[in-house]
Order: sequence, then C-alpha cells, then structure tokens
Amino acid sequence: MTATNWVTRVVSALLALALLLGSLLAVVEIVAAALGRDHVLVPYPRWTDWLRTHSWNDRIVEALLGGLVVLGLLLLLLALHRGKPASLALRSRTDGVDVTASRRSLQKSLAAAAARTTGVTGASASVGRRSARVDARTVSRSEPGIREEVESAVRGRLDSLGTKRRMRTRVALTTKDTR
Amino acid sequence: MNRRANVINRVVLTVLGLLLLTAGGLGLAVSVGALGESRADNSVLPQEVSTFPDGHPWFWWAVTGALLLIAVLALLWLLTQLKTSRTTRLDLTTNARDGYTTLHASALTDAVEDEALGITGVTNVSANVHEHRGQHLFLRVGLAESADIDEVRTRLENEVVTHLREGVTDPRFPVTIELRPGGSKTPQRSLT
Repeated sequence: MTATNWVTRVVSALLALALLLGSLLAVVEIVAAALGRDHVLVPYPRWTDWLRTHSWNDRIVEALLGGLVVLGLLLLLLALHRGKPASLALRSRTDGVDVTASRRSLQKSLAAAAARTTGVTGASASVGRRSARVDARTVSRSEPGIREEVESAVRGRLDSLGTKRRMRTRVALTTKDTR
Repeated sequence: MNRRANVINRVVLTVLGLLLLTAGGLGLAVSVGALGESRADNSVLPQEVSTFPDGHPWFWWAVTGALLLIAVLALLWLLTQLKTSRTTRLDLTTNARDGYTTLHASALTDAVEDEALGITGVTNVSANVHEHRGQHLFLRVGLAESADIDEVRTRLENEVVTHLREGVTDPRFPVTIELRPGGSKTPQRSLT
C-alpha cells in the first residue's frame, strides 16, 4: 500500500468514527429533548444562541466558513491525489497472470545496477509511473561515457523486467571531491 | 492490498469534500453579500428557521432518521477500513449436490511458497489468497540482485502457476505476481 493510501485510510477511519459518534450523539440529544430533559453532552442551547446572535458577515463566522472550504479542499486533494504507485505492471506472458514489480525494490535494483558501473561510487534511484531517475555519484566527472554506461545499466535492468509501459530514464551525475 | 476500500475511501472523501466546499463557499458568498447585501447582516440562524420544528412535529423524526442513516453508513465505512480481502478457504465445489469441497488456503500457499523458493535467484516468497471479484492468489517474490529475472518469471509462470492451477483444478485461476528485485546480492536460502 502506498503512503497516500495509508494517509487516506487513516483520515477515512477518523472521519467515519467522527460521523458515527456525532450522529449517534445528536440522536441521543433529540431523544433527551423529546423526553423533556436537559442536554446530555452537547450544550446545544448555547450553540443555537450563538448562531442567533451572529450574522453572516461576522469575522468569526467568515473564519469558520473559510475553515470549511479549506477542509473540503484538503479532502478533495486527498481523494484525487494518486501518489506514486506501489508497483509497476510488467508485460503479461500468461493468460490470467498479472506480473508487477514493487516500486521500492525496483528503485533499489536500479540504484544497485547504476552503482556497479565502473567509476560510480554510489547511486540512488527514484521511480514514478512513467520515469526513473538515477542519481549517481562519481569519482571524476570527466571520465568519458560514464553517463551513457549508467543509463545503459539502468535501461538494461528495466528491459530485463519488461515494464508494460516504456519508462523514461534520467541520469544525474554528481562528482565526489576526493582531494 | 484492499483496492475496494481504497476506491470507497476516495469516493466518500470526494463527496464529503464537495459538500464542505459547497457549504463553506455558499456561506462565504452570503457573508460577502454576493447573494444580496441584506442577507449578509442576517442572523446565521434566523427566528423563522429556529422555530420551524415547533409547527412541524415530523421534523425531528426526519432528522433522527437521517442521523441514523448517517450512523449506519459511517459504521459501514469504518468497517471497510478494517476489512481485509484475504481469505483462509478456497471453495472447490463443482456440484453442490455431490457435496462441498473446501481447501485451506494455507495448504495451497505453503506449497506455492515452497516451490517458488526452489527457483534459483528467489530469496523469499509470500503467498496469500484474496477474495475480490472471485478468488485469486497474490504471490510476492523477493529476488537476489544476481537473479535472472526472465528465467525466474518463466519458471514461476510455467511451473509454479501451472501446478497451482492443477491443485485447484482451475486452469484459469487468477494469479498476481509481484517481483521484488533489488534484494540481497546472493540468495539467502541454503539448499539442503
């Protein structure tokens, strides 16, 4: 499960709980009022008084409405944000068998493939839906063809997996000053 | 791994987000006088609204009904978060008149894991049976950095999946394989 899905799951659980408890509490207050009793937990007479004594153009009311808008936007953002995929689809060979590669392990694999290139001291990789970016650290920037070699190693790793969608690769080199 | 819960969450959050956005937006429109200058000075809860339930005894019944409906939907939404699509049994019944045949999912997943672990380059395996629009097997395969991915895939699909499908007597039993390359440099499993 991706980080976005975890956040969505936690927010959904909290909202569901709030809606459940809030609506049940409201029912309890309605029943209590119908039986002629005072409020149980929610001081709603004070709330209704507050609403009666404040107009729409009061600063506090506007702030609350602005808060509603912001909260709505945040929920929409959470609902519509796709985030990075947990896994990438690979080309299918057998009917009824879907094969994927975990994005995190693919990142590790691409970094390892890049790090094996001569002249590279270390590498890290980031994989999205359509592209893979590798940051490789080299001893010397002037070493000819090192970028192509890293790119070839990364491309070779992606080809060996056979991703369903052809991915763009980007290699960035940083030189480690050894002086 | 519960796609249904993810879809439900996104739909419900979109609906709630739109409701809050609309309510807040309309309220702000009233407060800045976009819906009439006089309305902006009105009380948020006018007298005629607060006294409306007094002359309409059905009002609180309707509100209670709506609140109970919201409570039930919220409970279902909450339970969706806790649900997992994993299943512990596989129904292999072909004809209910002849009796029911079920298979413990662990018997199947253990066999699949053992066979997959025997493939060179595979470092760890976990298999689970999931129930979502029918049953299917989810196989997570850790690969050594030195693994020949093509060879591993071929053996997984031609041997492990074939044997699995023979076991459940379903030549089209759906399988999802998640490869996890980038594991250890050498396979950790010792061959005995």
